[in-house]
Amino acid sequence: MKAFLMAFGVGLVLAAASGAQAYHRFWAGCNYDAPTFMTTMTRDAGQDYSNAARYEGYQWGGGCWNYDDVDSYPYDAPGDASTHGEGGDCSGLTFKTWRESTDQWRDGRYYWRALRNVHGPYTAGGFKSGQGAPNHTVNKSTAGVMDAFASDTHIGMVFFRTLYGGDQIVEAKCEACGTNIFYRTYRSDPNYGGVGRWGWTG
Amino acid sequence: MRRPSFRSLVGGAAGIAAGVIAGIGLTSLSAASPPALGFHIGLEAGHVPPVLTLPGEPVRLRYAIVCRPRDDGEPCDGSGEVYVREGQGGSFQQLALTRDADSYAGRYFVDLPPSIAGSERGFSYYAVLRDDSTGATVTVPSGGAAAPQRSLPLRQMMGIDLGVHSFGQTQKPDARAVDAQWGSDVGQAGLAGSRELGFVGPSAFDVDAGGRVTLLDQVNRRVERWTRGRAEATPVAVSGGLADFVAEPDGTLDVLEPPDRLTSAPVLRSFRPDGSARWTQQLADRTWAKLDVGPEGPVVQQQPSEQWRPVAEHGLALGRAAQAVRGRTGRPLANGRDVVVERRGRAEIRIAEVAGNAVVRSWRIVGTTPLGEVQLVEPLGSRIVLVAKAYTEDRSEDVVVVLDRTGIAQSFSVDPHEWAEAAALARFRLAGSSLYQLGSAPSGAFVDRFDLEVER
Repeated sequence: MKAFLMAFGVGLVLAAASGAQAYHRFWAGCNYDAPTFMTTMTRDAGQDYSNAARYEGYQWGGGCWNYDDVDSYPYDAPGDASTHGEGGDCSGLTFKTWRESTDQWRDGRYYWRALRNVHGPYTAGGFKSGQGAPNHTVNKSTAGVMDAFASDTHIGMVFFRTLYGGDQIVEAKCEACGTNIFYRTYRSDPNYGGVGRWGWTG
Repeated sequence: MRRPSFRSLVGGAAGIAAGVIAGIGLTSLSAASPPALGFHIGLEAGHVPPVLTLPGEPVRLRYAIVCRPRDDGEPCDGSGEVYVREGQGGSFQQLALTRDADSYAGRYFVDLPPSIAGSERGFSYYAVLRDDSTGATVTVPSGGAAAPQRSLPLRQMMGIDLGVHSFGQTQKPDARAVDAQWGSDVGQAGLAGSRELGFVGPSAFDVDAGGRVTLLDQVNRRVERWTRGRAEATPVAVSGGLADFVAEPDGTLDVLEPPDRLTSAPVLRSFRPDGSARWTQQLADRTWAKLDVGPEGPVVQQQPSEQWRPVAEHGLALGRAAQAVRGRTGRPLANGRDVVVERRGRAEIRIAEVAGNAVVRSWRIVGTTPLGEVQLVEPLGSRIVLVAKAYTEDRSEDVVVVLDRTGIAQSFSVDPHEWAEAAALARFRLAGSSLYQLGSAPSGAFVDRFDLEVER
């Protein structure tokens, strides 16, 4: 019994320090349920959805989070999708907020819940060029709530405009930044273009 | 050493197997948990106040009400009231918000009666917004009746039309005050990020009355001060995020940090001149735009209140409630007045210098080319210096306009030099009669100086 207990302890340590940690991290509790097809999609529902992803962290290539207000894996290596941590990346957050399909030719509205692990087919650069049936470019000066500004490396959505002319942007910016609302000046930045989602219903 | 028995070998192997299985199970359990909504996901708001109005201009107040996401994917079931009054004192009148069909600029709105919107004394107001599914409410601005939004009429403003902006005719600086290569040695500036993720350089800077430049080198967790071309570094315990920065006249160093992966709210960190920490104070609002120094200490322009709020007075930090009830529309100036700024529409900026509840002087600047963020509005003697961005879809330049009673006293354009990211509204400072600009390039960071014309 003594040998069993000692070995049991060794086994626990091994499990924590090995592949169990790498492959059974946050994504282990995410799901792959089908999205809910919807006939409506309002900008303020998009605000509700993206606002709730605040504090849930950032994961390169990710798109799964819960609503416990904590980034469960805040120190993942930047730019490494295999770390399977919590949170979306910039394009994953936008894809889910904009209720897009994983098929680029579909322009319908697909509601992905927070724990549904999906990133979508678009990079920031793809969004910037208006790639995919649901997306299009917009004039930067007219971009409003839940339109977005995208560069070749990043995309953030307009949460609300401001008095001094910048924008409150909801975005998953980097591992250290997490997901939150920040004051940005992407609107006037030549590296960024205006991007919109077809099909808002209000 | 005694040879292990067969029984102990089997027991040990079984123990390791059981331990690994239990470890995997525990790790999986600690992964994603059911989506229990967290503490912070409460009611949020968005609102841009019309702080400077023209005679006869109708006023529609618009709000976004942002709730916890509904499981059916539909928007928040919200409602609210605006408490508004003519002028800046007296009792408030309650007006219900109407729910619009569209939420492009905020779904909930109220049109102010002409008697209030057109009042010669302006008007003041606050809103109580509600999530009808939970009964939760939020007041905007959070100071409520004690520190409401204030709107003032522009009756005798100077009108200025910038017309179509001519790109490519920028002015060269008079001097390069700081030239720092990327690196971590003293005199260099830290660079973070990558080509794939974008680069971040020094996020803010300040200049004292003697023209000494202090750079917030947050990547290297320090500030660097240049005196006659020689740099001196002072370590400061900052997070490394894109922060704003001011150096107060007594040498206090204030660093305004954004939320990050571990800290859910923005904080102002105050350091002594030697870099030792004095205090850290959370802001009243969730988002900040700009840090400055008022007559009594650091002040921050914040959202959703869209107010300037003090974070400390005479060196002592103020709690969040104390900040909220001291919120004001304009940035407090050393002369006791406020400067009020509103960028509205596609290409319009309104500016007023305010004494108490009276507009002393004001300008309305319009253009044909879109005008972006207002980087700086600062008095220079009897003049006002404005720096704002003119932009198209693929170009931008900073426009410097020196305003006086006759209109434009001086105007020129500046290349933005934004190769690496910095804090959004921290790229310009005015010291004496010189304008300083923080810039960056693939080789390093720099601060350029533009000498403005002085009154004779």
